[in-house]
Order: sequence, then C-alpha cells, then structure tokens
Amino acid sequence: MGGRRVFVSGVGGELGTLVASLLEAEDWVGELSGIDADPPRRRLNRTVFHRIHPDEHDRIVDTVVKFNPHVLVHVGVWEPDARAAPHDAATLTDQAATSIIGAAAECPALEHVIVRSGIEIYGRSRGALTRPSESAPIQPTSEWGRTVAAIERTAAQVGERVGVTVGALRLAPVLGPHVPSPLGRLLRMPAVPFSLLADPPFAVIEDRDAARAFVAAARLGLAEPINVVAPGAITALQAARRGRRIPVPLVGPDWRIARTLSHLAGAPIPDHVAEALHRGRLADNTRMRTLLGVEAQTSTTEVIDRLYHWPSVVRQPARIQVA
Amino acid sequence: MDFGRVINLRASDAPSGVVDDWGRDPALVRSMIRLAHGRWSVSVGGDHYLPRRKGALIVVNARRFALAPIFAAFAVGETLGRPVRFVGRPDTAPVGAFSRRIGGLLDHPDEVAGALAASQVVVMGAEHGDVGRVDHTLVGAALASGVSVYPAATVSSPFTRAARVEIGPASKSLRRRRGPLSELELADQVRVDIASLLDELGELHTGTPLDWLPLSGLGGA
Repeated sequence: MGGRRVFVSGVGGELGTLVASLLEAEDWVGELSGIDADPPRRRLNRTVFHRIHPDEHDRIVDTVVKFNPHVLVHVGVWEPDARAAPHDAATLTDQAATSIIGAAAECPALEHVIVRSGIEIYGRSRGALTRPSESAPIQPTSEWGRTVAAIERTAAQVGERVGVTVGALRLAPVLGPHVPSPLGRLLRMPAVPFSLLADPPFAVIEDRDAARAFVAAARLGLAEPINVVAPGAITALQAARRGRRIPVPLVGPDWRIARTLSHLAGAPIPDHVAEALHRGRLADNTRMRTLLGVEAQTSTTEVIDRLYHWPSVVRQPARIQVA
Repeated sequence: MDFGRVINLRASDAPSGVVDDWGRDPALVRSMIRLAHGRWSVSVGGDHYLPRRKGALIVVNARRFALAPIFAAFAVGETLGRPVRFVGRPDTAPVGAFSRRIGGLLDHPDEVAGALAASQVVVMGAEHGDVGRVDHTLVGAALASGVSVYPAATVSSPFTRAARVEIGPASKSLRRRRGPLSELELADQVRVDIASLLDELGELHTGTPLDWLPLSGLGGA
C-alpha cells in the first residue's frame, strides 16, 4: 500500500491545500504532486506544485501523464461567485475537469479517482426530499448543481472506460477561515436577508472536516458518491441572530433588490445560495461515518459560530512604498 | 402526572434557536405542546412497546381536520422524551415550512425511510374514514429500513379535554413473503390492529343522546 503516487488538482485553493497537507502526513502516500492556476495557500513540504491554468490543456496532460498517479484527487472546481463570476466559474471548472480527468485516464498506474461534488446535485425542486441520501435522484436546479453533476458524469464515464473506481464527495457548502464562500460572505454581512415565509434549514461543513473526508476517500479507494455534511442544521435567521447581524425579512420581489444590493456590497448571491435560503439544503450524512469512517468534528451550528469569529481580511499598507 | 412540570424540565434540556438534522425546532415544538395542552389533555398508553433508541413507524387512525398524526407525534414525543416526527407536510411555504419546524416529513417513502434508518420515530396517519387504508409504500419504507410498524388508536372528544393515544404491539404479517406482498399484507394487518385497538378502547361517551348520532365527532375513527 505504501509509496502511492497521489495527484491533487486544485491544490492552490484553500481546500486543495488542506487536502495536500493532510496527505503529506499519510504513510501510504509516496510521491505527491498538485496543479492549480494559483499557488498553494500555505507551505507544503512534500508536494510538487505545478502552476498551470485550466485552459493549458497540453501542459496539464504532459504533467499528469509524466507523474502517472495511482490516485487522482480532483478538487479543482470553482464555485460560482466564490473566486470567479458564475459564467467564468462554470467554464474554468469544465476545462479543469475535462483536462485533468482526461489526462489521468491516460495514466497506466491509475487506480482511483476522487472528485469533489456538492449536495446541490440533488436539487430543491417542489417535492424534493428534505434530507436526500446518496441514492436520491440527481435533479440539480441550480447552475452549481448542474456543474457538479457534470463533473461526476465525466469522472464516471472515464472510470468506466479505463476500468478505475470513481468516488464522489458531495460536500455541503464549505466554510473555513480562508475559504472563499458566497454563503459565508453573505452571512457575515452586517444585515442578513432571510425568507420570511420559509426560512428553511441548511447544513454546512468546515474545510478541515471536508479535507479529512478526501484523505479517507483516497486511502480507501472510495467507489461511490458520499454526502459530506456536518451534523445539525441552521436557518439564515438563526445564523444572523447568533452572529448578532441584522436579520432582514424578505418576501418575493424583495429578493431581486436584495441580491442587487448584496452584489454591490461585495457579497453576490448566486442561484444555489438563493435556493438554499428559499428551499433549504440538507443531506443524509450517515454513510460518511459508515463507509469513510470519518465523522465531522464540527457541527453546523459550531461552524456558523466560528464563522462570526474568524478575523476579517485586514489590509495594511506597506510601511515603505517602494513602487 | 404533572404535565406542565415535565415540559418545563425538558425546556431546559432542549436548546433554543437551533433546528435538528431535519429542520425540527425543539423550542417551537415545546410551545406548540403548551398551546395544545390548553385544549387537550392527552394520555398515552402502550409506549412501552416502542424501542427506546431504534426507529419505529407508528400508524394512527385519522379523522379529517383532526390533525391526529401531529398531536399523536407531540404526545408520544413527550412521553418518550425524544423527537417524534409525523408524515404529511406539504412542500409549499409557509404551511410546509412551519410543518417542517414542528417535525413534519414529506409523504414520500424515501423521506420516511431516511428518517427511520436514522433511528427516528415517525407517526403516519391512515386514510380518513373508519380506519382507512394504510399507505403500503410507507410501510414498505419501514420494512426496508428494518424497523417495526406499530398500530395506534387515537380518540378525542369535541366536548371534553380528554384524548388518548393507545399504541399496540408491533404488527406482524401472518405470512412470510419475500416480495412486495409483504408490505401490502403488513399494511392490511396494521389496519386490522388499529380497528381492534379502537374496539378495545371503546369510544368516549357523553352520556347524552349525542352518542347515538353517527356524525357526532366522538371517537377516533
């Protein structure tokens, strides 16, 4: 089992960096390599980083094929309005998925592929299950849901064609002190909008728990989708109260105005976040414990409490202006 | 039993301002129980049949507009000291959102199966009428989740505060089946068991000629 080569895509993001740093401490991991458009967020000791943009298809293929990984951990996805606008995020995610998973398929040593997905994949149409399990039908109703469904589809097709196992981690909205999250950003605004008529519950996952799930999935060679969700749930009104924010009750057309104002204030509300605030977002996390052996160490309520205690970005001007 | 004292005691245990994994708000449920207690004094019998930690599906007889599954869920939940959910919330705001807050689940086999598999106690109603049909797909969800199905009779009176939920031992199908017939036959058996529980309970009597009126609203059927 020792000496496995593991390739992490999206290693420059906060979640990718965390996954790589946890993989570095694993005995079974031999060589570790990663790729992203941006450099990692913290120092990685063993990981060889390649800075390549998702549209540089040939360089990606060369890098991945040369490394010839046993395990591919594909974390290189862009959530809409997290680091890129929705259209750009969808394009970048599609480019990365096609290039990286396609390149991995050319590697003779490849055994497992683990992809990052989201519980947005189940959709929240009328009559959708309150707490869908992994066997619930895939009926995404948001752009992000359709994006992660496409990633899972691409990975499954590649896995079937080349005969490797494919596991998907369907993450709840990921929050962390440095994770760019449209939901987290919205909840930290001085005034937080909530649906007066519904105020449905949603669940989240802390970045460290999500990273631990990736490491466990890579170690076990997960071959199916699993929901990765922290226990508990919270509503937008409850979150606002816990964070001592001003809750703003909204009904119907008010949301259009609120979304515009929020966008101008620097916290755009993409459709999957709006959907969570209107229809809720929960998922059954039983198999996370039974199959992965991982239990979220931080509950949804605790993650939200921490969200309000994480320090804001402090911009300090240079003491000596050199340029 | 000092019902109010029990509620106050548990009020300090359940946190306020949070919802559970299904969106049930314990503080709101507590308020609803206090409100309901102003109208009904519900006694629960047969709760010793129910598992203390595992999941269970309780099927109650239902009368139109009586909200029997909801009040049975509240009463059984108070007796067991654990959350009890009910089947039959709509999926439209604001009624559906409110129902979810007080423990409502969608009327969908996968939804019920998910709750039962997570060791939750769920109350569902038979169809309206004189112990109406029991939805066999929901009974099938219980079978698939490996939990038992318990019949329960509910009786109440429009003129008094007394109401009762009587839970019977787990229903068992008379024949062992390997296929989908098992859920159909178990659903029929649950219906028979509820009818016999109602017969054993008798109906509440006012001692007036109202008891002979067929639409007096007395009794649980």
